[in-house]
Amino acid sequence: MRLALLILEDERSVREALRRDLAVFAGHVRIEEAEDVPTALEVIAEIDAAGDRLALVMADHRLPGTSGVDFLIDLATDERTLATRKVLVTGQADQSDTIRAINEAELDRYVAKPWQPEALRDMVRDQLTEFVVVAGLDPLPHLAVLDAERALCVVHERGDL
Amino acid sequence: MQRLGLLLGSIAFLVPLLIRIPGLEPAGHRMLAIFLLAILFWVTEAIPLYATAVLVILLQVLMLSDQALVGGAGALPPAATYFATLANPVIILFLGGFLIADGAHKFGLDRSLAAVMLRPFAGNARLSLLGLMIITALLSMFVSNTATTATMFAVVIPILAALPAGSARTGVALAIPIAANIGGIGTPVGSPPNAIALGALEAAGQGISFIGWMLLAVPLMVVVLLFSWWFLSRRYIAADTPMSLELSADFDRSPAAMIFYLVAGTTVLLWLTEPLHGISSSTVGFLPVVALLATQVMGAEDIKRLQWPVLWLVAGGIALGAGIGKSGLDVWLLGLVAWETLPLTLMMVLLVGVSVGLSTVISHSAAANLLVPLTLSLAVGLPIDPTAVGVMVALACALGMALPISTPPNAIAYATGEVPTSEMIVSGVVIGGFGALLLALVMPTLWGVLGLL
Repeated sequence: MRLALLILEDERSVREALRRDLAVFAGHVRIEEAEDVPTALEVIAEIDAAGDRLALVMADHRLPGTSGVDFLIDLATDERTLATRKVLVTGQADQSDTIRAINEAELDRYVAKPWQPEALRDMVRDQLTEFVVVAGLDPLPHLAVLDAERALCVVHERGDL
Repeated sequence: MQRLGLLLGSIAFLVPLLIRIPGLEPAGHRMLAIFLLAILFWVTEAIPLYATAVLVILLQVLMLSDQALVGGAGALPPAATYFATLANPVIILFLGGFLIADGAHKFGLDRSLAAVMLRPFAGNARLSLLGLMIITALLSMFVSNTATTATMFAVVIPILAALPAGSARTGVALAIPIAANIGGIGTPVGSPPNAIALGALEAAGQGISFIGWMLLAVPLMVVVLLFSWWFLSRRYIAADTPMSLELSADFDRSPAAMIFYLVAGTTVLLWLTEPLHGISSSTVGFLPVVALLATQVMGAEDIKRLQWPVLWLVAGGIALGAGIGKSGLDVWLLGLVAWETLPLTLMMVLLVGVSVGLSTVISHSAAANLLVPLTLSLAVGLPIDPTAVGVMVALACALGMALPISTPPNAIAYATGEVPTSEMIVSGVVIGGFGALLLALVMPTLWGVLGLL
């Protein structure tokens, strides 16, 4: 089982920039891209079919067709993505969209474009750790991409079985 | 694997119930069925280890107690004797040990102690490695091997990151689980196999005091630890490797923390001085439970967080041992092979070798659960003290550490990505092998010479 990260973004250059800044995670995390919501749903089905877990979605708001915020709201009630961490990466969401994202999609983080690569990586590491802890997964196979100190705290409570 | 284990375990369970084995009492047939099921379930992990443990207890109640569903097995002990294993004095001892260990983590005592004790070892990389290993082993004597490793890696990860990539990191990342595994043998509360051996020995009227166990185990612990340090530092750490140990100790001075230090210190002191006051280690172990709960330094949440699966696994092992003794299965097992014709030295090497081998591929606690009762039954026919046999098996079960799956500490080290499996095998085989030879060939003589048995 691998952890997956989904980038939902219609602009190719932004997708590439995100992928470049998150390259350190690529060896351990399945990083997927989608340019619109229907593609994103296909990707989620693929991840689920492969037995992997979607740990983190980084979605833009303004997209052709369904908006990023509406997509995140749907994910909040989808059985496959109940524990998935949700991040809005946008420069264009207005106040009412943002309020809906927080209240209805239980948004975990808001990243304003342009982002700081180092801060973005720290945020992703924190969110992946949060996902593993909340989903009750064994952190050890994913230790390389997690906040080691928090992950080891989970392991600490196990005994010498 | 799990389904196969479930199937094989069930078949093995039925065989002794359907086939008459000459020389074995009816109760022995039933116990053999339970024992075979336990072997297959624990080895294949068909169901979780702790589930097998409680299954063993239930089957003993239903087949080998006064509440047995089918009669005809002679006079059987009351069901309460099997249920009582869940609160065996050794389990009470561990309850105290666990609560102290959890408190040490809660108040950050483990990390602060590690930081303070590492300071004298700063400067030289090989010396620093020795410091790390000594501190890990000392913590592991009182805290579970897994928790010790998790704490020490939390301390060491910044140190690891500052080291040049490659063999130096491998050496440090290997040193911690190895020191934690070895340190676990040092006291009765250090790791579950010790409890399993203690429980079985106590049931056989051969109880060992806390300090008595330490006298038997600490010499081996120290020598194997020093050998591991020598091996790891020569193999992985170049003498001029820079290693910084800048760690800050931040002792919690809140009233709750002060009460905890006092209770933990008193408990350890009472454990170490049993010959002076005569209060058994289990009774002492219950003291911190009462004191920490009464002062509300620890509460209901801390009780819930105790490692009940480990306690119940140990209880299952104790129940298994009790059943083997009471059902006459031990006498039959003893008669299977003419053990007395084998040279004693060969017997010891075999005993230790099988224990190390089994504990390399299955859980140390499960291996001890199976091997301690078995070998104690066989020890009756050998010209050696049963205490020596029980302790040897428990100590040998700690030395199986050649694979990532051997122990949770190894799994943590492997997960850091700094330790290739091949290096874990090499160090595990060399260090485990050294320890095993020492244990089989030198320790019984040493124990005899020192008059410890």
